[in-house]
Amino acid sequence: MSLHNRIAVFRAERGISRRQLAEAVGVNPQTIGYLERGDYTPSLELALKIARHFGVAVEMLFSLDRFPMTFGRAGEGE
Amino acid sequence: MKRSHRSILSRLDDAVRWTGIPARVADDLSDDPSVKHRPLRWVPLLQIAFSCVLLAICLFWRLEVSPGAVVGVMTAMGLSIITGGWLVHTGGPLGKPSCEDDEREAALRKNSFLFCFGLLAVLNCLGQPILLIVSHWQDWPTAYSSIVAFSALILNVTLLGTLPTLYASWNFRQLPKE
Repeated sequence: MSLHNRIAVFRAERGISRRQLAEAVGVNPQTIGYLERGDYTPSLELALKIARHFGVAVEMLFSLDRFPMTFGRAGEGE
Repeated sequence: MKRSHRSILSRLDDAVRWTGIPARVADDLSDDPSVKHRPLRWVPLLQIAFSCVLLAICLFWRLEVSPGAVVGVMTAMGLSIITGGWLVHTGGPLGKPSCEDDEREAALRKNSFLFCFGLLAVLNCLGQPILLIVSHWQDWPTAYSSIVAFSALILNVTLLGTLPTLYASWNFRQLPKE
């Protein structure tokens, strides 16, 4: 079962580069790229670190089901 | 006569700098290191092919020269293969120190070496009994058996040095620029 995520959406909204997010959570910038493309499933620790960096619950970033298409800001009203 | 007043510690520092290791570490840790760890998809295959050809030559083309000369040539070829394998390993995606890996890179390194050791185990479990049976069946002379065994060793070392890089390189996917 694949793990879907909205890291790219949150990152774009907050104007954070891959490198900045990678440095904040202590990984290589390429790893953020692989995560966004769904080529790599993060550990629980990394998922929690990313969620904490964006200030949201981990369920808002990662899901086992596809995220619905939304037109508001990511994380609003959820 | 000029006397030097430098302490033993400063001389030891000089000795460490002379090895080039501090400069290499500083370069690796810089934002733009001079040694790039790029995926190497074809160079390891060439190395493996070269070692396979060497083993095939030793198996099917009985060398009619003195054992000493053959061993000398084989040693030189083996060293060249090992050096090549080392270059492939240090220049490839697994070339940087493992202590700098993040969790994805550590997982890739683990999978690469698991693939390598698994394949080596299977090849050796199959190849060694076959070579043993054939050598006994065809009554190989000791010098010939030694040459075949040595070329098999070179193939093993080459596979050990290149297979992890090969696996990691073929698993590498280029990411689009931001």
